Amino acid sequence: MKETAVPAKTAALSLIGLSRHFGPFKALDQISLDIRDGEFFTIVGPSGSGKTTMLRILAGLDQPTEGSLLLRGADITRTPPNKRPTAMVFQSLALFDHRSVGENVEFALKMRGMPKAERRARALELLDLVRLGAEYYTRPVTQCSGGERQRVALARALASEPEILFFDEPLSALDYRLRKTLEVELRELQNRTGRTFVYITHSLEEAMVMSDRIGIMRDGKLVQIGSPAEIYGQPRDRFVARFMGEVNIFEVADHRLAAFDAQVPGLERGYLIVRPEMLHPAGPGEAGIQFDATVTAIFHLGSRIQLHLDSAAGPLVSEQPASCGLTTGEVVRFGFDPAKTHSVAE
Amino acid sequence: MTQQRLGMLCMAPVALFLLIGFVSPIVIVGWYSLMQPRSFDLTTVFTLANYRSAFTDGYGAPFFWSLGGAAVTTLTCLVLAWPTAKLLHRIAGRGAAVITALIAVPIFISESVRLFGMSLFLMPGGGILAGTVRALFDVSIGSVLNTKLGVFLGLVYVHFPFVLFPVLLGVALIPQDRIDAARDLGASRWQVLREVELPLALPGLVIGALLTFVLCIGANAEAAILGGQTVTVLTRAIEQRFSYAQDWPMGAALTMLVIAMTAVFVFPALSRLDLNRLIRR
Repeated sequence: MKETAVPAKTAALSLIGLSRHFGPFKALDQISLDIRDGEFFTIVGPSGSGKTTMLRILAGLDQPTEGSLLLRGADITRTPPNKRPTAMVFQSLALFDHRSVGENVEFALKMRGMPKAERRARALELLDLVRLGAEYYTRPVTQCSGGERQRVALARALASEPEILFFDEPLSALDYRLRKTLEVELRELQNRTGRTFVYITHSLEEAMVMSDRIGIMRDGKLVQIGSPAEIYGQPRDRFVARFMGEVNIFEVADHRLAAFDAQVPGLERGYLIVRPEMLHPAGPGEAGIQFDATVTAIFHLGSRIQLHLDSAAGPLVSEQPASCGLTTGEVVRFGFDPAKTHSVAE
Repeated sequence: MTQQRLGMLCMAPVALFLLIGFVSPIVIVGWYSLMQPRSFDLTTVFTLANYRSAFTDGYGAPFFWSLGGAAVTTLTCLVLAWPTAKLLHRIAGRGAAVITALIAVPIFISESVRLFGMSLFLMPGGGILAGTVRALFDVSIGSVLNTKLGVFLGLVYVHFPFVLFPVLLGVALIPQDRIDAARDLGASRWQVLREVELPLALPGLVIGALLTFVLCIGANAEAAILGGQTVTVLTRAIEQRFSYAQDWPMGAALTMLVIAMTAVFVFPALSRLDLNRLIRR
């Protein structure tokens, strides 16, 4: 709570001790968090970590067992979803297949009783905002492609001029290229509209590209909150480190890294978090811990290659420039500098 | 080409059966409806006299009671079936099977047996309902037996399952996330019902309504057993023309009118229905 505390007036949404129990199962366990006004906040976590439950509670589609939810300081814990100035883009998109694109986009406006002509004008603006032409207005949503449906869902959510938009893994069903395009567009849209976006995903990559801040969830708890760089560079524990991509973890006890028989003066007990790019072929006399490792496999990542190694500390991963000239089966001396390495206690 | 011929061949027995058992009786009845009143021969001397009498000779009441009764019963059943179906869908698995069975099992018992059971239940004085109330609370209550309300209760009771199961199918067509999305976009519960749930469940509602409406137009046991002499329904009027009045052409004309009216309701509704959508789910 301390690390996320912000002055109340800039918190768009405050979660205070939010819990949701399903029988003995705690889907959400005492979540406290302030989401700042105008930020792109992403909640990342493996499936079953409680992300969707949390989003449904924020949108009012589910009720917390305990705790409360404040919108700009006003308690909205028991406010029904149709009375909240928020809108959600669903994982399934949940488009109204029995209606046209235009009718989908206009839905929120129709519910408020806006006259038809006005609705139509606004819908066309919104379609333009999500880069769909006016010709889509009359098209049945069932005739739209995956990417188009995505844009329709976005325009529909934006129509109600929500203060906060929620996204429940809306891009997970799309192919890689389209997903990349939409990630960038979504980020641009957020900048342009200045609205608060709360996004959930299990994809770290997606979170890194789009977010101002990321919250990592595990077993119904928020384990770490921070900027993408903070979470990548200074993970709180081994779980976060592993979740944020490939990583080598070395256990240290009594200032010793036993597998390599090496001293780690800076750390008495804990774990060294060594990212693949920090593990490199070592020259003689170079500072740090050095050890011999066999290259067991090489994967090409474009300009870089990923080396899978076998060492006295078990399998390791390293990333090097494609030009490094290493081959499978080779025994190479690798090293890293423990002084420049992030360490965690658990 | 050969496949098409094979299809024709497979279709032939059914087509033949329908021709003999379905089309030809309609042709004969249609023919009789154009004969002189009270004649028993099929000739080529046609007249519209029977159709004229159908609109002028006091058949208005049976038409009114049958069509009106069918409409009111259908609406009542729909209104009752919707919340029941929503509930059964929500508790699916837990006790839903028991409730479904309780509603479905009576279908397997003869309609007149059920209706006589209901008349025992409603009977004034010593009937099951009135007798129980008197024994327990020492209060004498009246009875709806032999009234129009009794007929209406019977119609709803008998036809409720025919609406419920299609409506249940319709309710199953509504994905929960669409309801969530509509709520999220500011729709009240009433707006969700009108804008999302009813349109999505429409195929089930239409099938249920058609089934009930058509069955109700043809229903006469309810009026006979629960209504006493208070209402003469259309089927009763037709039966009287054929048997008691020995006026086949008049009965035939009334029959043709019922068939035509049923068609007016059924065909437009069926043509708007996407049966594939129901089956695919």
